[in-house]
Order: sequence, then C-alpha cells, then structure tokens
Amino acid sequence: MKHEGYKKAVVRMLGPGRTQYLRVSLFCIVISLIAGSVLLALLGKNPLEGYVSILQGAGFLPKARYAGHRSMFTDFMSLVNYTTPMIFASLSFAVAMRCGIFNINISGMMLFSGFIASITVGYSSIPAPFAQILVVLIGVISGALSGALVGWLKHRFNANEVVISIMFNYIVSYVISFFIQTMFVDPTTRQSVRVGDNAMLTGVDTMVGDLRMDISYVFPLAVLAVVLIGFMFSKTRIGFELKAVGMNHNASRYAGIRIGRSVIFSMALSGILAGLAGVSYYMGTFGSIQPRVIPTLGFDSIAVALLGNNSPIGCLLASFLVMTISNGTTYMSSRLGVLREIASLITGILLLFSACGGAFKALADRYKEELKSENKKGGSR
Amino acid sequence: MADDIVVLDHITKRFPRIVANDDISLSIKKGEIYALLGENGAGKSTLMSVLFGLYEPDEGRIIIRGKEVQIHSPREASALNIGMVHQHFKLVSDQSVTENIILGIEPTVKRLGILSRLDMKGARERIRKLSSDYGLDVDPDAKIEDLPVSARQRVEILKMLYRDAEILIFDEPTAVLTPQEIDSLLHVIKALRDGGKTIILITHKLDEIKKVADRCAILCRGKLVGIYDVNSISTQEMASLMVGYEYTDEVNKKNYSGGDTILQVENVTLYNQDKVKVVDDVSFCVHKGEIVSIAGVAGNGQVEVADVVAGMLIPSAGRIVYKGMDITGKSIRERTEEGIAYIPEDRQDVGLLLDCDLAVNLALKSYYHEPYCSRGILKPVEFRKNGEMLIDQYDIRSSEGCSTIVRSMSGGNQQKAIIAREISLDADLYIFVQPTRGLDVGAIKNIQERILALSEEGKAVLLISLELEEIMNLSDTVIVMYNGRIQTVRKRSEVTANEIGYYMMGAKHEA
Repeated sequence: MKHEGYKKAVVRMLGPGRTQYLRVSLFCIVISLIAGSVLLALLGKNPLEGYVSILQGAGFLPKARYAGHRSMFTDFMSLVNYTTPMIFASLSFAVAMRCGIFNINISGMMLFSGFIASITVGYSSIPAPFAQILVVLIGVISGALSGALVGWLKHRFNANEVVISIMFNYIVSYVISFFIQTMFVDPTTRQSVRVGDNAMLTGVDTMVGDLRMDISYVFPLAVLAVVLIGFMFSKTRIGFELKAVGMNHNASRYAGIRIGRSVIFSMALSGILAGLAGVSYYMGTFGSIQPRVIPTLGFDSIAVALLGNNSPIGCLLASFLVMTISNGTTYMSSRLGVLREIASLITGILLLFSACGGAFKALADRYKEELKSENKKGGSR
Repeated sequence: MADDIVVLDHITKRFPRIVANDDISLSIKKGEIYALLGENGAGKSTLMSVLFGLYEPDEGRIIIRGKEVQIHSPREASALNIGMVHQHFKLVSDQSVTENIILGIEPTVKRLGILSRLDMKGARERIRKLSSDYGLDVDPDAKIEDLPVSARQRVEILKMLYRDAEILIFDEPTAVLTPQEIDSLLHVIKALRDGGKTIILITHKLDEIKKVADRCAILCRGKLVGIYDVNSISTQEMASLMVGYEYTDEVNKKNYSGGDTILQVENVTLYNQDKVKVVDDVSFCVHKGEIVSIAGVAGNGQVEVADVVAGMLIPSAGRIVYKGMDITGKSIRERTEEGIAYIPEDRQDVGLLLDCDLAVNLALKSYYHEPYCSRGILKPVEFRKNGEMLIDQYDIRSSEGCSTIVRSMSGGNQQKAIIAREISLDADLYIFVQPTRGLDVGAIKNIQERILALSEEGKAVLLISLELEEIMNLSDTVIVMYNGRIQTVRKRSEVTANEIGYYMMGAKHEA
C-alpha cells in the first residue's frame, strides 16, 4: 500500500490507547503553533520572537521594562483575572456535554446573569463583602434557572437544544440591550453604567506592597469548581448518572435512570457555571455591559472545553493556554509591530484546531481499522 | 441452460461463528418469480446481499446471463441490471419522488452545447410512463415524507425500474403492508413478471408464495433444503421443510405443576411512533415456576410486549398486574425493585453501557443503593467485589477482568454479563428477549440451562424467542403472536413445532 507508512505514523501518534485524548490535544496545540509560526514568518517576523513576546505579555517571562508599580507578577495576575470566566464557561460546556447536551447558550446565560447581578447589586450601596457574595449568589441562581429552562424544554418537548440555545442567545441579547438603552445607559460610553466597586469581583488596581494589580476574588472559586466537578464525575452517583445518560439514553433508561431529571440537572449545573462565568466576566474584568453584543468568550469556551477533552482539569489547563495566547498577543502586536487583528488570528487558529481534535481522533481510529483489515486481507491471500 | 439469467454456483458465506450460506446453488430463469423461503436467520437476506454486491462470497461463483461476474458493490450490481428493494427503504424523506428516483444518476441536458443542466422534466415524464406501464400509482412531485409506506415502496420499485433493472430482488416486501396493500403489491409483482422482468422474492409468508411465485427455494440454517415448483407442494410441507426438524421430546425438564399468578397482562394495546398498532389487545398470565414463551416471526409485536412489561414502553391501553398490584404507571426502577428482571433484545444498545467497564455494567441496576453507593458517593471497591464474584460464577471471559471496557468483549460474554447481573438481582419475574441470539452452541446451552434452573427455583419466566427449537425445549406454555395479536395459547405438551411454525406464518387463525 502506498500510504501505509503514513497511516502507521498517524495511528502511532494519535491512535487508540491510554493517553489518546492527551496526545490528540497536544497534537492540536503543536500544529496550531506551527500554523501560527507560518503566519508570522509570512509577515516577515521571527516566529520564535513572537512566541517569546506572547509569554512575556502573559506574565510567564519578564519583559524588557515595566511601567511604575508593574512587574511580571502583575501581568500574571491579570492573566488569572481574564482566565477565571473562561474556566467557568468551559466547565459549563463540559458538564452539559458529558450528559450529551451541546450547550451553545453559555454566552446568553453569561449576559443574563451579568445583567441581573448588575442591576440588583451592582447599582446598590450594599457594603463590599456582602455585595460580592450576593453577586455570586445571583449569578448562581439566574444561571441555574436559565439552564434548567433549556433542559426542561429539551426534555418536555424533545426540542433541539442547539436551536433553543441560539434563539435564547438572541432573545437575551436584544431584551437586555433594550433595558440598558432605556434605563441603564451611560451617555458617554454608550454602555451600561459602570457597577460600583463594592460589587466588583475583581480588585482593580489594588496596591499590594509596591505593586498595583488586578486581583480576581473568584479565581479560588473557579479552582474549587474544577475540583468539585471532577469529584462529581469520578466519585458520585449523580455524576455517574449524567455520564451514563450522555453515553447512551436507552441503556440509562433501562438501568432505571430518569433521563429527564438528569438532563435538567446537568443543564442547571451548566447554567450555574455559565452564570458564574457571567458575573466574573461582567463584574470582574469589565464592570459594564455593551448592548447588543454577546460575549464571544462563551463560544470560545466550547473549543477550550473540547481541547481539554471535557474533563475539569483539562478545562482548567486549556483555559490558561488559550487565555495566555489571547492575552499575550496584545503585547506581541506592539512588540513586533503586527496588526492586532493578526495577533488575535493566532488565538483563532488555536481555537480552530482545538475544535478539530475529534476529527483527528476519528481519522486515527479509521486508519487503525483500515490497517487492520488490510493486514487481514494480506494474510488470507 | 440458456434461459437461466442468474446462476449461483456453490455459494458459501461465513461470518464469525456462523455459516450464513453453506454451499448453495440456485439457477433462476428469466421471467419467473422465484421465492426464497426460510425462517429468520436462515440465510435468505445474506444470499441476496451476495448477489447485490453488499457481501462478497467466501466461495462459489455468480453467473449472470451466462457470464461469470464479480460483484463488489451495489453499483456494480446495478450495472448488471440487478435492483433490490430493501426491507428498510432508502429514501430521502424531504425530497420529492422524482428527486429520489434520479439520485445518483441525474439525467442532464446540455445547454448551448456546454453548460449541463438537470433534466427534471424528462425524468418526470419517464417516471410517469414507468408508473402507468406497471400500475405503480405515484405522484412524481409528492414529497416522500407525505407518502404512506406502501407508496414509498412503489417509489423504491420505480427506482429500480428507472435504472433499467431486469432482475428485481424484494426483501420481505410485505412485512410493512396491510392485507389490501399486499394484494396490490402482488399484482404489481405479477405485472413486472409479465413485462419480462425476473423477480426474486425473499419471504417467510407461505400464502404469498402460493399466490404469486413460480418456484421456491427453501433455506434452513444456511443450507438449501430443496427447490420446488410451487404448484406441486402444499403450504404444510413448506412449513415443515422451513422449520427443518421434527421435534423430539427429550428435554431435561420437570413438568410444570402450577403456582400463583405472578404476572397478568390485560388487554394491552400499543401504538408505535408512526401510529401503527404493533400490539393489539394482548392478554396472558405467567405463574410461579412457569416458563411462558412468545413465539413469532420477528416484528410481530413480541418484543414490544416485553418492553411494556418491563416499563420501557407505556401501553396505549390495558393493564399490567404484577403480584396482584397494578404496575402500569410505575417507573422502570420501581419495577426493578419490585422484582422484575429484564434481559433486553438489544444487548449492546440497551442492556449495557459499552464504554463503561465490566464492574460497572455488572451492577448497572443496583449501583444507586447500598453497598454500591452510600450518601451519593460510589464505592468502587464494592463494584469490583461484586464484579469478581459474578465473573467467577458465570465464567465471563474478558481480557482485563473487572476493568475491561465492555465494548471490547465478545457478544457471548456481553450476554453472559447481562444474564449474570439480572439473575443476581434475585427477582421473581424474568423477561428474556432472544437470550441466545448470535451465540455459539456452548453458550446457548449454558443460558438455556440457567433459564430452566430459574423456573425450578420457582421464578416466573417470560421468554421471547425467534428460535422455535428454543421455545419447544424450554416452555411450559407457548403463545404465538402474529401482526400484534395473539394467534394461540397452547400448552407445550399439546402442540408440535410444525403447528407452532404454522401459526407463526399467520396461516391458521384460531376462532
């Protein structure tokens, strides 16, 4: 056979085996870095220099010089702050996906919970720690409700969750922009009025020693969520039931699992995580809401979760990787003098290849089958 | 012979563990209706799939119009003017009849000599002509999804004719039709023959063969039993040849002595998603220590009855009474807890979570309570303990014991795992649906002995099987279902396999 050597190489690299998912994810990362290098080389830039500057921008390597009260550590803290909503959002996708539901409504849920938290607590004068706790609680509740609604619609009317989710994204986006523009608009920024510092989930420009940094108060909560979701899937009954439903509806029903309850529960949980992503995004990194725009982070999180193979720890690592590149490219564009759009293209390439992981895996699996059957034929002749 | 259009010469096709076609030779004359008769799994469909290029034979030759040919794909079969109407239609439901028929061989006309354009008008005309020639009444512009099943079948026939097929294979064409539709289909088939086509009819319905076929070949368990002129053989003879053995009464089975009623099914009726009545007013009882079996050709509503009793399907009408308690509205889990165990027909899609390991699958019905789970936390140690015990007890073979992913196990061992799990539930009613399908002789014997042992322990058993031999060997009471209705309920000791076979074909109706 002409291509046998090539097939064997693919199977060896990505084929079935214990670490297949990890190998596929790493393969996706490597080829997207290669594609990024080609892009930079075509623009006449040194790819290595580009990647170094990405790491510098993200706070993993020291820059040549820093402004006052800034250092590598403050850059890293910004990265953590930006990554927090991504961790929640990718977990949100992973939880639904494990139960066999494709939740594309994360952006809408984020916007919904961010908006509700802004207008209830964000514009109030509740003192700091209570306001922040309330914001988190409101994020959880509004997320849970919107998630459960999608799950219920899916179960009760056998509606396609992707269609419902897309419709909800539009509904939420337009309804909220109506309220922002009629009631909460800031005339100079054309965005919603900035929420008070008492309700912010990020300590913006907080002085620690000699350094001025952004501290995400909910990042520990994100790490806790990773641990809890991981525990739920590996050790608990409810986690087992969700996974079983995601694997096979018929067999789960046969085992006595109530499919509807599992679907609604997993969507509610997914909604809670999306809600937390929403409050940590709108009331952490931004502080205000731009009308008629839904956060692309909610969609990027799908690729991030896929890159992390829908495992909680994978989501955490993939979130950091993607946000490192996304954050670092800003610095790269100024260092190397490439357009910002080119810089964000590199993030796009990574997300694109991350989402292709399943295809690479399927390809390797198919080659393995083909090699097997070719061997058999060769033997019988 | 000059007029033999299809000759199958010593065809053998093997699958793992089973010989589907064992040295079969047939010759089919041009312009005749040739029936292939046999039970489920006799090898009729496999043989025709070989002719249609879906399978390649392991041995033997295919000779079409006097020339030896190799048919590797349906496309090549089509080029030899062979067409097939499959049991499950292969149509695109949101496209029109014409679009479906021309799919893959779209006729084109050249505009200005270069630009080719789809010739829908010409295609439509040709379809109109074909349908009036053979009495196949179909509107070429109708959408498939708006058409009833019988019309969809006519579209499939037109599809073959449009491709100039001369050898037409029908795979169980009447299985999906009502009696009136069957009559009109048989007319069409005759019209096709009179138009010079050669027809091969796969079926197990004797009266249809009597009505239309010229000759028939009877297959039994992969072997050719004989080729007969339809006029010279009675349906009675055909039935006994098809069943393939004279029943001998030598089972190690105690006689059933009667006991309390465990299960009562009362006037159960069920419509499927297409609003077709698949179970029609079915009532029967199963007693303690009794094995009641439901015999029937596949798709006559037996499996649905089992699903209704197990709670997988909700009946449209009727009641299920278990130990004197109405359980019609109870959930699957409640029924499991009351002591109903179910070995489903589809062991891979329903009975097991294929991507989980054996330990989990062996506790799939009890994972949620003690000792496997306490306060919502699963205990892998207990799963493993239970798994190792059952693996040992039921001789379930796998590569890595408890941690084997079930998908990688053989069908026989998957089935053993399900049976081990269900028996370990210590239920009072066991429902077995085709427990031995596709298994080798040793595994079949093992499972049948387990079923007998359960009844000796005083459990009630409901057995649904397509294997007449299995039913005759195991049952105390035999129910035969046909078209969703109960044809007859008989004591096993008072009925012969041939009689049961006869009822299964729907030939005899009890008053």
